[in-house]
Amino acid sequence: MHTIKTRDKFTSVVYGLAASAGLTLLVIVGSRNLEHYDAALFGYTVASVVAFGAIVYRYALWLSRPATRIYWRRGWQLFRDRRRLAENTKSAAQTITHNLVEQRFIRRRGFTRWLMHALIMWGCLLSAAVTFPLVFGWIHFKLEGERGYRTYLFGFPLNALDGRSVAAWVVFHALDFTAVMVIAGCAIAIRRRLRDRGAIALQQYMLDFVPHLLLISVSVTGLMLTVSSLWLGGYMYSFISLTHQALVIMTLFYLPFGKLFHVVQRPASVGVELYQRRAREMPQAACARCGVEFVSEMWLGDLKQVVEELGFDYTMPDGRQLQDYCPRCKRVMRGLSYASLPDRTAEVFRGSRAEGKETMNAE
Amino acid sequence: MEETMFIDPQRCIGCRSCVAACRECGTHKGYSMIYVDYLDRAETTATMPTVCMHCTEPTCALVCPADAIKMSEEGIVMSALKPRCLDCRNCVNACPFGVPKYNTEMHLQMKCDMCYDRSSEGLMPMCASVCPTGAIAFGKYEQIVPLRRTKPVNVHVFGNQHVETKVYLMLPTDADAVEVDGCGVFEGMLQRPAEERQTPTVESWIDTQVEHSDKSNEF
Ligand code: HEM
Repeated sequence: MHTIKTRDKFTSVVYGLAASAGLTLLVIVGSRNLEHYDAALFGYTVASVVAFGAIVYRYALWLSRPATRIYWRRGWQLFRDRRRLAENTKSAAQTITHNLVEQRFIRRRGFTRWLMHALIMWGCLLSAAVTFPLVFGWIHFKLEGERGYRTYLFGFPLNALDGRSVAAWVVFHALDFTAVMVIAGCAIAIRRRLRDRGAIALQQYMLDFVPHLLLISVSVTGLMLTVSSLWLGGYMYSFISLTHQALVIMTLFYLPFGKLFHVVQRPASVGVELYQRRAREMPQAACARCGVEFVSEMWLGDLKQVVEELGFDYTMPDGRQLQDYCPRCKRVMRGLSYASLPDRTAEVFRGSRAEGKETMNAE
Repeated sequence: MEETMFIDPQRCIGCRSCVAACRECGTHKGYSMIYVDYLDRAETTATMPTVCMHCTEPTCALVCPADAIKMSEEGIVMSALKPRCLDCRNCVNACPFGVPKYNTEMHLQMKCDMCYDRSSEGLMPMCASVCPTGAIAFGKYEQIVPLRRTKPVNVHVFGNQHVETKVYLMLPTDADAVEVDGCGVFEGMLQRPAEERQTPTVESWIDTQVEHSDKSNEF
């Protein structure tokens, strides 16, 4: 059966290392040769570089699964079709807005679920959008005049901000708002996980609770930093800051291997939806038994190839594959095989017109 | 979990209590994951109940591009992990038993997981708890098998493919496996001339009444 090949592992490691190296280079270039780099954030930077490499490694390994690889290749192949570039771009844009941004499909799973997820996701993404550029030295601020702050991105000056304005207050406290969002989202999730019978049966501590506990503790320690500096005159600041850093690093290392891998994996739905949209326009495969058109020929072909690559052989005596039948016919075919088992001592089912009458007469 | 399920289609009277009860399970609340299919409605009242057979090497899990289908330690093949499932439907069409269901609106696959919330605590899955005829039974091998005259078998052969499962099918014969090697026809048909034996292409009235979900696997 399918096991990860050494060659795939090796290539994945190479991709991972290359990614880490690439990010390091970007940090150096983006901070103008570390001129705007804050050495106090060195721990975060190292952790980010390592975690990024690990994510790319994991992604590459994931793509080496036969089923994933074929979707990946076919998705890009369909996307690159020149004559359909406009439609394909539209399809991708649609998936990105509906599935990744609005997440309508989670809304249909349940409103609270959607709210939970929106709070966690936007809380995390906005936090990341603020912190990573700061950590990598891609953004820095300079005091201008009495209370003006000018933002620099990759060393290029952007707009200036009045340090006492509402806008500046919001910007400087962005991480406090996102922390509250994350805490609220995780609280909803944990509440569900403590009450829902199905969730209770299925959940595992490492997979389902640890991410919430990590995110909450990162957010709480982050808020504590604000509290310490604003109201407590920096009380225990360095200790809290160290704890916060340790928790963030743990979260970063959890990303590639735990539940949070879906953050990088999920955009693949752009490819899958494109595949499905294109497939609907293509010739459809009819079930070999009932004649219902149930999937496109391309899809069925790809699926059969994956099944074979995985080491299965569902070839039937007539040369067809079992996958040529629709799911319902597969169930009926199995029922019929059961009904006509050889060497039985009595009929399997009563009620067939031919045999039923005889049996009834005999009794 | 030492308990498993024992399916005896001979005993199935097609009452669909299991289909209704299945919706009550905590892991797939509101959606039924079991099937009761007519074999050949023009010929017979016989029905085939289908739950997940929980393969020891699940095809569905291996064809999943998102690596979303996991097995429990006890060998229960779970529904797709909610954050991962991309609704690609590979599992739906690869499963040799035609078991997994999907929902495009929710981008989600779900399947029979032996009512994991119940069975992991030693309770019967919903279907087994309501089946009036014992067509679907749940328990330890040593408990169930001595009560039956039928033979428990957990191997199916689909063409060239051997598939071993955690769930047993109760056979009225000495066969060691159920062999599925083609479309099949109902036994009553076998007494007819070959040209009449094909499966009817026109659906019988009752077939048109079957729930949409049973035909397309969309829940
Ligand atoms: C690319 C965009 C994203 C998509 C499409 C996505 C999708 C999903 C889906 C479908 C679920 C399962 C929801 C359910 O139970 O039905 C989920 C769960 C989760 N997501 Fe995301 N996600 C995304 C980004 C993020 C981000 C950025 C984070 C923050 C780190 C995140 C954190 C979580 C957490 C913690 C859960 C588990 C909730 C629980 O069940 O307890 N997601 N996500």
